[in-house]
Parts: sequence; C-alpha cells; structure tokens
Amino acid sequence: MSTSTVDYDSDAPRRPLVTELRNVIAFRGLIRLMVMRDLTVRYKRSVLGVWWTILQPLLTSAVMWLVFSQIFGEGVSEVPFAVYLVSGVLFMTAFAQGVQSTGSAIVDSRGVLAKVRVPAEVFSFSAAVAALANFAITLIPLLAIQLIAGVGIPWTIVLVPIPALALLCAMAGIGMLVAAAAVYFYDVLNLTGVITQLIMYLTATFYPLEIVPDRFVIFVELNPMYSYLTTFRAFVYGGTFPELWQFAYMVGSALFILMLGVWAFSRAWRNLVVLL
Amino acid sequence: MSMAYKLAHDQAGTLKEYTIRFLKRQITYEPLWAVRDVTFDVAQGEVLGIIGPNGAGKTTLMMVVAGVLPPTEGRVITRGRLSPLIALGAGFNDEMTAYENIVKYGTLLGRDPAHMHERVRPILAWAELEGYLDVPIRSLSSGMRARLSFAVATDIDPDILIVDEVLAVGDEAFRDKSMGRMQELMDGGSSVLLVSHNLDPVEELAHRVLWLHHGEVVADGDPADVIRGYRETARAGAAPRRARP
Repeated sequence: MSTSTVDYDSDAPRRPLVTELRNVIAFRGLIRLMVMRDLTVRYKRSVLGVWWTILQPLLTSAVMWLVFSQIFGEGVSEVPFAVYLVSGVLFMTAFAQGVQSTGSAIVDSRGVLAKVRVPAEVFSFSAAVAALANFAITLIPLLAIQLIAGVGIPWTIVLVPIPALALLCAMAGIGMLVAAAAVYFYDVLNLTGVITQLIMYLTATFYPLEIVPDRFVIFVELNPMYSYLTTFRAFVYGGTFPELWQFAYMVGSALFILMLGVWAFSRAWRNLVVLL
Repeated sequence: MSMAYKLAHDQAGTLKEYTIRFLKRQITYEPLWAVRDVTFDVAQGEVLGIIGPNGAGKTTLMMVVAGVLPPTEGRVITRGRLSPLIALGAGFNDEMTAYENIVKYGTLLGRDPAHMHERVRPILAWAELEGYLDVPIRSLSSGMRARLSFAVATDIDPDILIVDEVLAVGDEAFRDKSMGRMQELMDGGSSVLLVSHNLDPVEELAHRVLWLHHGEVVADGDPADVIRGYRETARAGAAPRRARP
C-alpha cells in the first residue's frame, strides 16, 4: 500500500476525476471484497441464494411476455419475441438496480464512513461494479433462451463487454449524480426509481421500435440507453454491428455521463460527509 | 514515522445548520462550533489524553483527526496508519462470517486483503473466539464483537491509535488484556489519542492531557496537573453542560 493512502492532509487539494480515479485504484482490494460480498450476502438467508439474481428478472420477463407477446410479438421480426424481451429486461433491470444501489451506497454505508477514513466514492463505485457482476450472471439464462429458441450464440458475443462497460459508466455516472443531488435534496433517492422506470419505457425494452410513430422515434434514439441496448442486442444475439453513429453515441455519452457524475460528486463531496 | 496535527476553527454543527436551511429555506444560518481553535501536535510514541464534559467536542475532534470529517477551518496532518477505536464493530456486516468480517475490516483500515487473510487466525486467537471462524457475526454477543473489533483494529500495526471510550467496554479480564495490548503498541512507538471520561486510566497512561470545554482548549499539559484542575472545576459545579449537536 502506497504512503499516499496512509498519510492524511486535510488540505490536500481534491481534483475532480483524478482524485476519484486514484482512490478507486488504491482501494481496489476493498472494492473486490465488497463486490463479492454483494453477490453472496444479498441472498444469504434465502433458500435459493444467488439463483434469485437470475430468477428475478426472468420472472419479470415472464409476466411481460404474457402481457405483451400478443400485442408486440408480431412487430419483432428478426428474433423470437422472448429473446428480444428478455435481453431488454435484463439490461434495463441491471441499469435500474445499478443506479439505485450506486446512488444510495453512501447513505447505506454511513456507519463505516463516519468511523473510518475511506473515500466515499469507493462505495459508489463498488456498488456499480456489483450491479454489473449481477448483470453478467443473468446473461447465462439469456444465452440458454437463445439456444432453446433456435437463435444460437453468435461470435459477436465476445464484444458484449463493450456495451456492458457503457452500462457500467452510465450506472456509476448517474448513480454518483444521484448521490451528489441527494446531499441537497434527500428525496432524489426516492425519485430515482420512478425515473429509471421512465427511462426503461423510453428505451424500447419490450416493444419494437417499429411501433413508435415516426415523429417520436427521435426521442427514443436520443436516449443514450437505447444505443447501449441496441448495441448489446446486436452483439448478444444478432451477430451484427450497430450503426456507426449509434456506436459512437454510446461511447461518447457513456464517458460524458461518467465524467459528469464524478464531477458533481467531487463538488458535493465535502458537504456529503458532514451530512452523514 | 512521525506525525503532526495542526487544527483550528473546526466546525461540526453543520448537521443542525443544514436542517435549519432545509426547513426555513435559508432564513437562519448560524454555525455551531463544536471544536474551535484547537491546535496541538502529537509526537511519535506520545500518548495524549483528551478529557472534558459531555459536548466538549472530544468525539468531533477525533473524527476530524481520523479524517472522517473535513475541518471547516484549519488543517489536519497525520502521518502513518491510523486505527480508530471509536465505535467498536462499526465496519461489521451481520450476515458475513467472522472470517470475512476480519478481512473486510482490516482492508477498510488500509491493509491488503492478502495480508488480512493471514492474520485471521492470530486475531481470532487473541480475541478468544477461535471457534467462530465460519459463524455469521450476527450470532456473536456485543461483548464478543467488541473484542473482535478491538483485536482487528490493534492488529494492523497502527502508527496512530484513536481510543474513544473503549476502555469502558467488556468485562474486567478483557479490559486488562486490552490495556496490555495498548501498552505494547505504545512501547512499539505508536502514538495514542485517548479520549475518556474515566480519568484514572487517562492519568495512568497519558504523557500529556488536553482539557476541552465547549470546543476550546482549557488546559494542555502534565496529566496530573490538568486532571486535578478538571476535577476541581467539576466538583465546584462550574462546568456548564451543553447538549451535543
């Protein structure tokens, strides 16, 4: 462990992005521990344990399939509706849960933060990584469904980490933005669930884009999450590439959201710890 | 390794201040100074006792020194690994086993997870909890938790140890044992900040005592002198009590 994490100077300047990045690297051991804890402890008292990670989005998908397969089923031409639906629900559930847990991570660990000097962003970041790890686990049933439905698994599956990283950036960025805003308006934490749900509806998760009237398509396409999900779908079952502008929009917006979140967090940090 | 603290104008009344700001939409804005104009240095291996009535700002001061709260004014510098024995067991997770908690707590305090994996058994042995390796922490009594937490916090070879009222925890045998452990650390060159209402152990252990009242330093010097002065003031009833923020 380097001396910089051991010595402490309250006047050490805090540089947005640089300080956070350095802290996350310095505490990577702790982050790994916390991600493992999140994966194993969450369901420790339940009989099915980690299987809930897989079951929960699958059950949600099953309900949506019952409701929407008759309405939208015809509109999705390239793959069976179940594959389209499950891929969307898994991706967007991960997003919603990731934003929520990243946003509330600091409040949740206030017991530790009030006693031990650990940079608060370490908790936010590890919550986002844990959400990504949960998402990775849920890919297993998706791939199973693809095999059963006769879609198969294309070679582009090896590229899935790219949209997954964009998802991580979005979860961490928006989550830290939420955490920073919650310093001034605590209600933001309660509002987040509603907003992520709204984003989910705006993202063509369970309906095909074709049913959206032409003049509204632009709103769906402007939504960064739509570019992540489209890219994810193209790689995970399509065996194709997204359009170049979509890929560029994904990379650009992911980096922008992450930097915006970290910057806002850095600005709010001082008040944040005092409030705990 | 040496260390120096310089700290002045430290404010921790912001919780109240923010609540007021929320409720009254910034009509009133009055800072509450929990610690004010406190300046001190602690040398390597020195034991500084900190005494004062409830609400004197002792715990706030320790939180600022620990780096948990940023000082409102002034500056804090600490050199070396710091281990805060402030609220024992704060870093524990109920659902995790003793093993996992030891590793996590040690990592929180700045050690490498790999190092902590090797220290688990010695720590459990010291805390006399060998049989609890794979037992979730929630089935441990509060005394056992305090013992385990103390064992971890003093096992990480701290250069600076902040001890806030932990001398009051646990049974007599454990108290003797933890006093012994602290003595070992002091002999090994660790600096100690000892906060307590229990004046006898402070007088016995400290090389120097700081007396705080209403966030300000009343006296700073020889333990026997400062504690005598504090006792006389307390007996005379001259020390007014103030509610904590």
